[in-house]
Amino acid sequence: MSGLLEVKNLKKYYETNRGTLHAVDDVSFSVEQGETLGVVGESGCGKSTLGQTIIHLRKPTEGEIRFRGEDMSNPSKKRLHELRRHMQIIFQDPFSSLNPRMTVKQIIAEPLKIYKISNDKAALDKRVAELMETVGLANRFVNTYPHELDGGRRQRIGIARALALEPSFIVCDEPVSALDVSIQAQVLNLMQDLQEQLNLTYIFITHDLSVVKHISNNIIVMYLGVVVEKCSSGELFSNPLHPYTKALLSAIPHSDIDAVKDRILLKGELSSPIDPTPGCRFAKRCIYATEACSVSNPKMEEVYSGHMAACHNVREVNTIPHAAV
Amino acid sequence: MKNNDTAKFLQIKNLIIHYETGNGVVEAVNNISLEMNCGETLSLVGETGAGKTTTALGILNLIPNPPGRIIAGEIVLDGEDLLKKSTQQMQRIRGSKISMIFQDPMTSLNPIETVGEQISEVIRLHNKVSRSEAETRACNMLEKVGIPAERYMDFPHQFSGGMKQRVVIAIALACGPELLICDEPTSALDVTIQAQVLDTMRQLKDEFRTSMLMITHDLGVVAETSDNVAVMYAGEIVEYGTLRQVFKDTRHPYTRPLFDSLPDISKNVNRLSPIKGLTPDPSNLPACCSFYSRCTSREDQCAQIDPQPHDVGDGHLVKCLLSAEERRSYERTSGSKEPQKVL
Repeated sequence: MSGLLEVKNLKKYYETNRGTLHAVDDVSFSVEQGETLGVVGESGCGKSTLGQTIIHLRKPTEGEIRFRGEDMSNPSKKRLHELRRHMQIIFQDPFSSLNPRMTVKQIIAEPLKIYKISNDKAALDKRVAELMETVGLANRFVNTYPHELDGGRRQRIGIARALALEPSFIVCDEPVSALDVSIQAQVLNLMQDLQEQLNLTYIFITHDLSVVKHISNNIIVMYLGVVVEKCSSGELFSNPLHPYTKALLSAIPHSDIDAVKDRILLKGELSSPIDPTPGCRFAKRCIYATEACSVSNPKMEEVYSGHMAACHNVREVNTIPHAAV
Repeated sequence: MKNNDTAKFLQIKNLIIHYETGNGVVEAVNNISLEMNCGETLSLVGETGAGKTTTALGILNLIPNPPGRIIAGEIVLDGEDLLKKSTQQMQRIRGSKISMIFQDPMTSLNPIETVGEQISEVIRLHNKVSRSEAETRACNMLEKVGIPAERYMDFPHQFSGGMKQRVVIAIALACGPELLICDEPTSALDVTIQAQVLDTMRQLKDEFRTSMLMITHDLGVVAETSDNVAVMYAGEIVEYGTLRQVFKDTRHPYTRPLFDSLPDISKNVNRLSPIKGLTPDPSNLPACCSFYSRCTSREDQCAQIDPQPHDVGDGHLVKCLLSAEERRSYERTSGSKEPQKVL
């Protein structure tokens, strides 16, 4: 299997005064061209760190990141500069990720200038106008400053900036969670349209499960730095295997007032990611936890074709006979 | 409680709130009327800027003045008009009879006071009790919201987001209020924590028989907590009814697209359908129906008349000309009278 992006055993640790913080611990996955991989999990589970490590905004502690087959775990400065043309990021907060002292035009043109794509002023203006049209920003905003625009328009600037270099791969770190609900739908639709037009590949990081269901092909569920479940979007919502995923899905309030509610209420909160003890990280909150869970780390195993889960008791929890693989 | 269950516990009548700014008058709340029964949960739903929070602050008489001003209306709680109360009287009511939970638990707690002291402070403000008695009660409240009483002396920064919101709930419920106003109480929390907090709120609401006014844009939260729902648009209530009426028998042309524009876990759609256009500028509202510019089922007469809320059956109120009877009455009176704006 060779996808556009392959991540193998990626680790990102931070040294803190209280010990080593395992932000991302042994994460592996691959993403195909044109696909959207959703990354879900609660705050503090390491999903943003994962996104930033993949495009080398943070240096990985260990592991392998292959982009188009090329190992980029430790690229030279020059090579990284070249690679960044193809991988971009859209940040969560359109209020703090845009320079308040630059106009919309300057912000969108900046990557073009850095990569010396066009030094000709007229060509640059034309490209900025094109990009603004692509993301649905009216041309009259070209000389405004970010603070003059609403959140939805600002996020469009962030998207236009990310698209400026025609990347093939974009990490979207909670791109709609800072937006008003009515604007969310517009931005999500825009991102889907752009993906179709430009054959983009997304890693879509979010804590909002209804958004991720909507936009992703495949999903990985993270808990305290580790991946606990990995499968297609449809499969995850119809047949979750990991106890954490089950609890997460059942916690979402349903707007269908006639739906039968069978809620698994998790006790407690995320434990600390600093120097985690061996064993399943979810064991303390898991209703199915057995002794084995606090002894060794569960490995990712393919329970059904294309559906992986990391749980010692996955068969017992889901009443699957042991032979069936 | 004085009133019996059949009497209306909270009545808001023709409330109008404006913000008078240098750039003109912002009409935040335009002539809304609402009623709540004892023990009922009412949800206010709508986009940002629809006037939900302003309505809530109006009930507490906490509209920042200037620039905000309550122009007209009555807010009757238990037979008493809150808008006629003096500042001191309102201070006694806030925190004892009416409490509020704000959206962001990170900023609504005092960072340099222990959580226990923040709870007992409310108790001592509203009840004549000794310091130690207040402390005991505060410890009880902590236990009720699921925090061990040993954490009385901890500071807010030592708690996680969900725990802080529990502390806020403990403060709000410490004096057994009759009305609890919740402004997006769980939007800042993760889903598993949200489920815990909502569960706690439900239990305490039943235990204290508190009425709740819930402000949220999460339709899932609405569906799981509310008895009645009011949909707000541009400072007006465009649809009001029981949960079932509004969710299953949606009538207003704004409510359906609002529901459709939100990603929903229980729906299988490939594309969201956002409502076209933007909410009207509240400092320059049209004289006609405020949804006219975005409405897909508008008719010519909608540009001329500002419809009145109208009962389509069993107390289900819809503010739209397109409900048949309203149109008929319009046709009867059209030409003879200018559409009047009730003040």
